[in-house]
Amino acid sequence: MKNTFNNGLSRRSFLAAAGAAAGVAAVPAWAAPSLPLRQIDLAAAPGATHLVDSDGTKTKVWSYNGRVPGPEIRIRQGERLRVAVRNGLTEETTVHWHGLRVPHAMDGVPHLTQKPIAPGETFVYEFDAPDAGTYWYHPHQRSFEQVGRGLYGPLIIEETNPPQVDRDVTWVLDDWRLLIDAQISEDFGNRHDMSHAGRIGNTVTVNGRITDMFEARAGERIRLRLINAANARIFGLEFDGHTPWVIAYDGQPVDPHQVTGRLDIGPAMRIDLILDLTGDPGDAFAVRDTFYSRLKYRLLNVVYGPKRLRDKPMRKVAALPDNTMPEPDLASAERHHIAFGGGMMGGMAMAKMGGREVGMMEMMRNGKAWTVNGVAATGHVMDPILTLARNRSYILALDNQTAWYHPIHLHGHSFRVISRNGEPTRHKEWQDTVMMAPREQVEIAFVADNPGGWMFHCHILEHQAGGMMGVIQVT
Amino acid sequence: MTIRNRIQAAIFAVLLSAVTAVSTLAADRPDATIIKNPQCGCCESYADYLRENGFKVTVKASHDLTLMKREMGVPDDFAGCHTMVLDKYVVEGHVPVSAIDKLLAERPDIKGISLPGMPQGSPGMSGTKTAPFTVYQFGQGPAKVFTVE
Repeated sequence: MKNTFNNGLSRRSFLAAAGAAAGVAAVPAWAAPSLPLRQIDLAAAPGATHLVDSDGTKTKVWSYNGRVPGPEIRIRQGERLRVAVRNGLTEETTVHWHGLRVPHAMDGVPHLTQKPIAPGETFVYEFDAPDAGTYWYHPHQRSFEQVGRGLYGPLIIEETNPPQVDRDVTWVLDDWRLLIDAQISEDFGNRHDMSHAGRIGNTVTVNGRITDMFEARAGERIRLRLINAANARIFGLEFDGHTPWVIAYDGQPVDPHQVTGRLDIGPAMRIDLILDLTGDPGDAFAVRDTFYSRLKYRLLNVVYGPKRLRDKPMRKVAALPDNTMPEPDLASAERHHIAFGGGMMGGMAMAKMGGREVGMMEMMRNGKAWTVNGVAATGHVMDPILTLARNRSYILALDNQTAWYHPIHLHGHSFRVISRNGEPTRHKEWQDTVMMAPREQVEIAFVADNPGGWMFHCHILEHQAGGMMGVIQVT
Repeated sequence: MTIRNRIQAAIFAVLLSAVTAVSTLAADRPDATIIKNPQCGCCESYADYLRENGFKVTVKASHDLTLMKREMGVPDDFAGCHTMVLDKYVVEGHVPVSAIDKLLAERPDIKGISLPGMPQGSPGMSGTKTAPFTVYQFGQGPAKVFTVE
């Protein structure tokens, strides 16, 4: 099998594109020296791709530039990115740069930050990349269907001095609900998925393809960037006989620590690993997904080639350089409680929807099942659940009152996860999407330094569509 | 493995084994197979309730409940949080044993029965019963009331 793990837009071709652009827009001599502008065109359109095998049936998808995942956008920290997004769909769309701390107008949320891109129209996004790390892009308009049909791609911001590895590999994980003819089941947004665990598929792909094997070399060190692009599936990965190091969550550096058990990665979350291939030539080991207890399966086999890259594996794992988020001052931070409710077995009796109190059954009939602070959102524009003063520190106590998992994403900011169920977290990890287990309480802390109204929602996309969404306003 | 087999294996493994269960008829009541969301807890309580009432119950987890329900002809409005295959019937939601016994005794020409909406106090659910449970039948003409318990 060919290596399918490097389908990205390479840095080289990107530089070529940028060079061509530089010829058009000459930089005035008096301009302050700055890193170059990178440009790329993305076209969202219906297409077909080989999800299940390389030469058989194609699956009809919606994709960026005709492929799933969309092109890997790779720029260096501090560079400016300009992306012209052309909408070739028959419905409106937007692009959200998940995890990147961009200005409000570039955040890609329909009606809240921009007018959605109409069919046939183009919208140009342009922003600086302040922080290095592993990010991704996807629509925010009817995302439960647009992302579910294949509209997403990796966005890698390289460190100025990246850690020394033999290979830098991205695995975009996704799942699909396919029918017997390898076509996508059309039951997007159905009531069962919405009120339970979301749309979880029956076919798992790595970089847009069912993958049996990943080739490796003995002694090799890989930086493995995991991106969960699934609507709802939580991956719980185990690397048989190997103990990778976590070096970043959601793109943000963390004290390197070894994974001994299962590595959970919820929808929209990313994890950067250092994987040392300590086996011998000819060995093989399984990467398994054991998250759903009765539905464990092998994601793929890592197979060692015949040659050894180096005799002694590399030993030390260095921390990535810090990014640029301001450190929250916990002593002076203002604390707010946010309750997440609804869903099956949630025991929720009443909720507010469109300004009035309704019962759970009426809510369900109207396509809603979830609430934030007792309110089921009916669109992207709403009264803020919180208004925060710019540059102040805040602690949000997130209270999952439901029987389900929820990966909660805050736009425009990264936050530290400081406690779970009252216990301080070991790494105080920076995240932009924090997964709450059923009935779990999680505290996050951050400086509200990015002005605007920001989405705060569950990234199980059926839960988001089902009302688990709010706006946090930063003045 | 061909692509067709591959997808078939993924989608229908659970369904096929559920159908297999139909052929093993017990003396009293047929064996039941409950197919549920892997994270759902109330379906387990419902399985326990059936076992206490003399059913032999197998519980299977699947991410493909919505596909199976469609395959088995369950209308969206009558889809329960889990699906049970019993003899030639589909039983949706927390249906009381008395309604199941009626179904097995009368053996009507329908696809199945459903107690929609997970009412409080129904078997396997928490809370207390506040109103009669209306069990519906589907699969022969429009859905209609099967029994009120």
